[in-house]
Amino acid sequence: MKRAAVGETQSSVSAAEDLQTYSRREWKGNTTKSLLIRKGYEAIASEFNLCRVRGDNYCALRATLFQVLSQSKQLPAWLHDSDISKWAKEMHSDFITEWQFPFETSMSKLQHLEQCLELLKNKWQEAVQYKSLEDREHMCQHVFRGHDEEYELLEALKFLMLRTAIQLHSDMEKGSDVPEFCWLLFARDSSKCPKTFFTNHLRHVGFSGGLEQVEMCLLGYSLQEMIQVVRLYKCDTEEFITYYPNDHKNASPLCLLTEDDGHYNVLVPKKSSKFDAYGRPKWNQSSGGQPSITTCL
Amino acid sequence: MSFIPGQPVSAVVQRIEIHKLYEGDNLILGFSIGGGIDQDPTQNPFSEDKTDKGIYVTRVSKGGPAEVAGLRLGDKIMQVNGWDMTMVTHDQARKKLTKKNEDVVRLLVTRKSLEETVRQSMMQH
Repeated sequence: MKRAAVGETQSSVSAAEDLQTYSRREWKGNTTKSLLIRKGYEAIASEFNLCRVRGDNYCALRATLFQVLSQSKQLPAWLHDSDISKWAKEMHSDFITEWQFPFETSMSKLQHLEQCLELLKNKWQEAVQYKSLEDREHMCQHVFRGHDEEYELLEALKFLMLRTAIQLHSDMEKGSDVPEFCWLLFARDSSKCPKTFFTNHLRHVGFSGGLEQVEMCLLGYSLQEMIQVVRLYKCDTEEFITYYPNDHKNASPLCLLTEDDGHYNVLVPKKSSKFDAYGRPKWNQSSGGQPSITTCL
Repeated sequence: MSFIPGQPVSAVVQRIEIHKLYEGDNLILGFSIGGGIDQDPTQNPFSEDKTDKGIYVTRVSKGGPAEVAGLRLGDKIMQVNGWDMTMVTHDQARKKLTKKNEDVVRLLVTRKSLEETVRQSMMQH
């Protein structure tokens, strides 16, 4: 399984690079798989560049957080209206007691979770006030350095997922409308209720496991975002692009890429002109020279 | 969400209403299309059926009219303003989307979802 290391620097998310260049370097040869993966990269190469994400079990959370901080134009309503550090006290103590942190702490687990949530809100607020891309990138470089701060933010995301799962499960029990992925989340034998979901799945995220697909839906829903994932090994199927969850309208999706549903990287938009010198939409030939065009509208 | 008669039960469609935007003198939609009955369907990465010569969304401009309206990368366009798009050439599709006297286009699209994939497999049991 190919995992891109982020190199000797401390950066957890690399600078943007060209997808075609990356694809040709990483997937040489002409096995069926190589051809499929390269076809997938080529399908999106004119629209996106790639930022490689540190390849540990936090990568899905990290990639999503990176996109949130680098793209949010305003604080979401659910964050704006709440004092989210208080949510830690509202959480049942069983969950707090069992929480795992990836770093040493001298505070109580409750206090540390409060700190994580506070930090998330502060960083998000800081991100939305930057108007220029350069300032945002600078901020993200500072956050994604592999220090405790980065992991505190990732643990905050896990907390939000738990809180949302508890709320959704309660709604399901009451017979209220819930998003479809909830049924899948709690249909697993190992995750029939929030407690077992936490004990068997969520508390291990970042340590011994990453996020399963249905948990990506929970992550997106918790943040009120839609995560768009280009899944390269699913190229030539209807699951090549999958949305987590699929029912959040009118949102600009957070774009990620995975070759295998295991490791996630970030996709950032490539700047390109859509029109030629005469103001006509550009027609592009696919590089194979086959009769297959894409028309910009 | 509604069902189109003749489509397999799993194909759920979304209605997307795109309000075109002026960019200079051009009315743009903010997305790109691939496919058509005159095109090579094996190049299309979004479809499993390699005889599928339908029209697919191959790019969506960030923050553009299409994205704002809910159109997404990989969507298959079934209809535009009531016109069928499942058996058209690439150029016919382009024309239906870029009529100069229309500043709104209403699309019917299909999109696969994780939830739907699992629901399908559950329905088979």
